[in-house]
Amino acid sequence: MAISKEIYSVLETIVGTEYISDDPVICEAYRSGPGGYENGLGYERVMTTIPGCVIMPRTTEEVQKIVRVCYRNDVPYVPYSTGFYGPRSHPHVEEALLIDLKRMNDFVLDEKHFYVEVGPGMVYSPIQQECMDHGAYVVIGGGGAQASAIANLIGDGWSPLSHRIGLPHRRILGTELVLPDGELIKTGSLATSDDPFWGESPGPDLRGLLRGYTGVRGCLGIVTRMAIKTLPFQPERLEPTGISPNTALALPEKRIKWINFVVPSKEAQVKAMKEIGHAEIGGAVTKVPLFWRAIAKAEDKEHFWEMWGQENEETIANFFIVRVLLIGYTSEEQMEYDERVLMDIMKEVGGEARRTKPSDESWIKNADSAGMWLMCGGYVSVDYVIETLSQATEHGPAYAELKKKYTPPLMPDYGDPGWFQSFELGHQGYSEFLVYWDQDDDTDKVDQFYVDTSKMNIKHRFYTSLLGPHQPLYLTGPKYGPNYHHYMLKVKNEFDPKWMSHPPVPLAHDVFVERAPWMHNMKDWESPEDLPK
Amino acid sequence: MSNKLKVRYYKPKSDIALDITDIQNFVYDMSRCIKCKGCTWVDHTYMPGAKFMTRCPSATKYEFDAYGAYGKMRIGHAMAEGVLEWNDKALEIIYACTLCGACDVGCKRNLDLEVELTLEALRVKAVKDGVGPMPAHKKIADNIVKKHNFYGSAQKDRTGWITKGITPAKKADVLYFVGCTASYVNKEISQSTAKIFKASGTDFMLMPNEWCCGNTLFSVGMLDEAKALAERNVEEMRKTGAKTLVTSCAEGYRMWKVDYPKLLNISTADLGFEVLHLVEFVDEKIKDGALKMKKPFDTRMTYHDACSLSRLSEPWTPWEGKRGWMGCVEPRLRRRRGTNGVYSQPREILKAIPGVNLIEMPRTRENAYCCGAGRGTKEAFPEFARFSANHRLEEVKEVGAETLVTACPWCKNNFTQAVKANGDDVQVLDISEVICASIKG
Repeated sequence: MAISKEIYSVLETIVGTEYISDDPVICEAYRSGPGGYENGLGYERVMTTIPGCVIMPRTTEEVQKIVRVCYRNDVPYVPYSTGFYGPRSHPHVEEALLIDLKRMNDFVLDEKHFYVEVGPGMVYSPIQQECMDHGAYVVIGGGGAQASAIANLIGDGWSPLSHRIGLPHRRILGTELVLPDGELIKTGSLATSDDPFWGESPGPDLRGLLRGYTGVRGCLGIVTRMAIKTLPFQPERLEPTGISPNTALALPEKRIKWINFVVPSKEAQVKAMKEIGHAEIGGAVTKVPLFWRAIAKAEDKEHFWEMWGQENEETIANFFIVRVLLIGYTSEEQMEYDERVLMDIMKEVGGEARRTKPSDESWIKNADSAGMWLMCGGYVSVDYVIETLSQATEHGPAYAELKKKYTPPLMPDYGDPGWFQSFELGHQGYSEFLVYWDQDDDTDKVDQFYVDTSKMNIKHRFYTSLLGPHQPLYLTGPKYGPNYHHYMLKVKNEFDPKWMSHPPVPLAHDVFVERAPWMHNMKDWESPEDLPK
Repeated sequence: MSNKLKVRYYKPKSDIALDITDIQNFVYDMSRCIKCKGCTWVDHTYMPGAKFMTRCPSATKYEFDAYGAYGKMRIGHAMAEGVLEWNDKALEIIYACTLCGACDVGCKRNLDLEVELTLEALRVKAVKDGVGPMPAHKKIADNIVKKHNFYGSAQKDRTGWITKGITPAKKADVLYFVGCTASYVNKEISQSTAKIFKASGTDFMLMPNEWCCGNTLFSVGMLDEAKALAERNVEEMRKTGAKTLVTSCAEGYRMWKVDYPKLLNISTADLGFEVLHLVEFVDEKIKDGALKMKKPFDTRMTYHDACSLSRLSEPWTPWEGKRGWMGCVEPRLRRRRGTNGVYSQPREILKAIPGVNLIEMPRTRENAYCCGAGRGTKEAFPEFARFSANHRLEEVKEVGAETLVTACPWCKNNFTQAVKANGDDVQVLDISEVICASIKG
C-alpha cells in the first residue's frame, strides 16, 4: 500500500518535518546499487527498489510510534543504519518506508564495568578510539570501521581480533528491540532495570531472536540500543600517521607488534595457529587472501593487476603465511614472553619471520573493507564457516575448486583458498570466501555460483553461516534442520504476522530464484506455490 | 591485461576523459560508489572519537543520504541514465555542498573514484540543463560579468587597499593577485601581504587591471563564463612577464593552480608561470633566511586548513584515455588524492613565531571540516554556512584555542561572523596578519 498523505502527516508529527521526505530525489539516494556490497548482481537488480518514503527517528519511542503506524496501515518498512550491507539491507517491495537510523548515534562508555552503549547510527572506529582512550578495546568487524556496530554485531562482526576477544555476538549485553508491531523488548539486565551491563535474559536468551546465527536482516524488528562488552587493552597510545591514502596507526613496539611468518605448508599453517592458541598468546592470528597483500601494496587499480598478473596457480599454491599480532596487555615483559613462545612455535613448524611494518593499517581501529572494491568494482563474501581449525581449512579449497567453474566472470585468483584464521584462542577456526567481479560483465553466473555454494556446503556438510535470509530458505532449511525453515517462518509469523518488517525476508532469496529466469535451472529443491511474489 | 588472461572476457574499451563538461565521463565513478561513506567519515585511522566523526558539512547538516557524496553519486547516476529529473530538491542537494573535497580524498583512501569532478560535472549539467545555478549565484555572476568583481563594486576602487608605504612595482618577477575579497572587504589581508613582501625584500607588481578570478562562476557550473575569465586572466598574467603569481586567498589559489588549467585543458606546468599561496612564499623566505619571525605572539593557537589550499590544491594534468576490463584505465592516470596539498607550510610558519602554542584540532589536514563558506555556498545557503562555521568552532573550543588562524578570507569572514553572532571568546585571524605582526618586531 502506498504511503498516503494522511499517513505521511502522521509520521511527520512523530519526527518533525525536517526528518521525513518522499521526494523522489531524496529516495533515489537510498538506492542500493548500482555499486557496493553484492550490488550489480541479479539479487540487487531483481529484488531491490527505492523506498517510497524515508524517515529519520531520533529515539526508541519514535521508532515504536513509526512502526505502529506502519503496522496499523499496512506500510512495509525497512530498518537502515548505514546501508553498507548492500541490497539485503534495502527495500525489496514498492512503496516501503525506509527508517534511517543514523540520527540514533548515542554513545555512552562505562569505564568501570567495561562496556559501551550505542545506538544503531554509531559506527566502529569512534567506538574503538573512545575505548582505547579508556584502556579498553572491541573488535572492528570485517564489515569495516564504517559499519554500524549494532548491525554488524547482529550480523556477524568477526575479525582477526576474534582470536583473543572471541565471537562478537557473545559480547552483546543489554539490548532494546522494537518488535515489528511496535512492542518493545528489553533483553538482559535491561529487562529489570535501566542498566545494560548483562546480556542474558532472565528467561530464554532473546539475543537469538534479534540475530539468529548471523542476522535476520531486519525482518524481526529494529534494535535501537545495545550495550557491547569491551575488554582491557594495553595503555600506550596508537598514533595515527601519514597522509591519505597512506595512513596507519604507528604501534608502540614494546606493547603491540604485527609479525608476518612464511611457513612451509598448509599443515604448518594450521599447526602454528593451533599451537599459538594452545599457548594462549597473541591478539590476532590470521591468514588473509593473498590478493589482499597485493591490494595493500598497489598504488592503484592498474598497479594491482600488474602485480597480481604475475601470480599463477603454482605460486599461490605454494605460499603460506601466518600473520600474528602480539599485544602486551599487562606489560612489556608479557609481550616479550609471548614473542619468545611464538618464535619457539615458529621454529617448530619451520616458519620464517618476514620484515613487517611497525604499524597497523587494518584491524585494530580501521578495517579496510572498502579497499576490497579497488581492483574489480564488484565484491561479496559468499560464505563464512566457523569450525574447528582443522575442519575449517577444508572449506577454502572446496570453494576454490567450485569457483573455477564460474571464472569468468569471477576474478582470476588462481585457487587462493580465501581467508582463514583462529578464533577464541584456537578453539574455533574461521574460513571466509570472498569473490570479485567486474559488474559490467554478464554476472548471471555469479548469481548461480552464490546458490551453488549452498549446495556445496550441504554436500560437504560445512556449517555455513549464511543461512536463512542469505540463501533460499527452502534449500538450506530442510538440510540444516531438518525443520529450520519451519522454525524461522513460525518465528516470523508469530512476531510479524502481517510481514511488514522488511518483506519478503527471510524468503527473499527464494523469491529471487523464482523471479530470475537465469536461476531456474539451479532450482532442484521443493518450495511452496504461494511464495510472496 | 585482459586479453593476456585466457579465462577473461575481452571487454571493448570505452573512451573517457577527466572533462567535467560531460557527466557521462563519470558514470563509471558514480556506478561504483559502495556506500562505505569514506566520503563522509573522518579517515578511520584518524577518527578522533564519538565527537567530530564526519568531514562532510553537507551530510552533517542535512543528514539524509542524498546530501552525502554517496547519495549525490546515486542521484547523478540516475540523471545521467535519464531516469531522474531535476526538481527543486535536486538543485538544493547539488548546490548545498561546499565542494570542499573531503569526499574526494576520503574516497581515494580506498576506491579512487573521481568524486569531486563528478560533483563539479553535476553543476555544469545543471547549468546546461537550464536549471542551475541558484538565484543568489546569478546575481554574483552578473556582478562579475558587469563589474569584474564579486561584490559589484566599482573597478576603480579595486586598489583602494593600497595605503601609504605600500608601493607595488611596475614590473617584477612576483605578481600579487589580490582577489576581490582582499581588495574590497578584507583589506587587512592585502595590506599585510604587501608588508610581508617588503620585509622579505621582494618587489611585487599587481595586474594592470585585475579582474575577479571567477571562483564562483566555475564553482556553480557556469563554465563558459569561467573559461572566458580564465583565458583573459592567464593572458594578462603572461603579458606581465612575471614569473610567479602569489595569492593570499585559498580559493583564488585553487582557481589559478588547478581550475584555470582544467578550464583551458592544459597542465598547471604549462601555465608558463608558478602559482604560490602566500604561505608557500613565506615558508621559503623563512627557510632561506630572508624573513625572520621575531615578535612574540603569546597565544594558544589553532590552524584551520582552507580546503582550496589543502586537499584541493594539487596541480592539474589533463587526461583522456580508455577504460577497459575491471575498470582499469590507460594510459596510466596519476590520481589527485589530496596527498600533496599545502599542509605543512602554514604550520611551520606558525611554529616559528615565538610564543605561539600551536595545537591541532581533532580534524586536521585532509580530514579538516570545511568552514562552509566557499564555492557558492554562503551566497545561496547562508544558514548552512553558519552551521558549518559553528560546527568547526566547536572544535576550536574543544582544544581551548584562543586564536583561530586560517589562510583564506572566505574562512576568516565566515568564522568571524559566527564568533560575533555567538559572542565566542575566540580571535579569528588570517595568517597574513599573524605573519605581518611577527615580522614587525
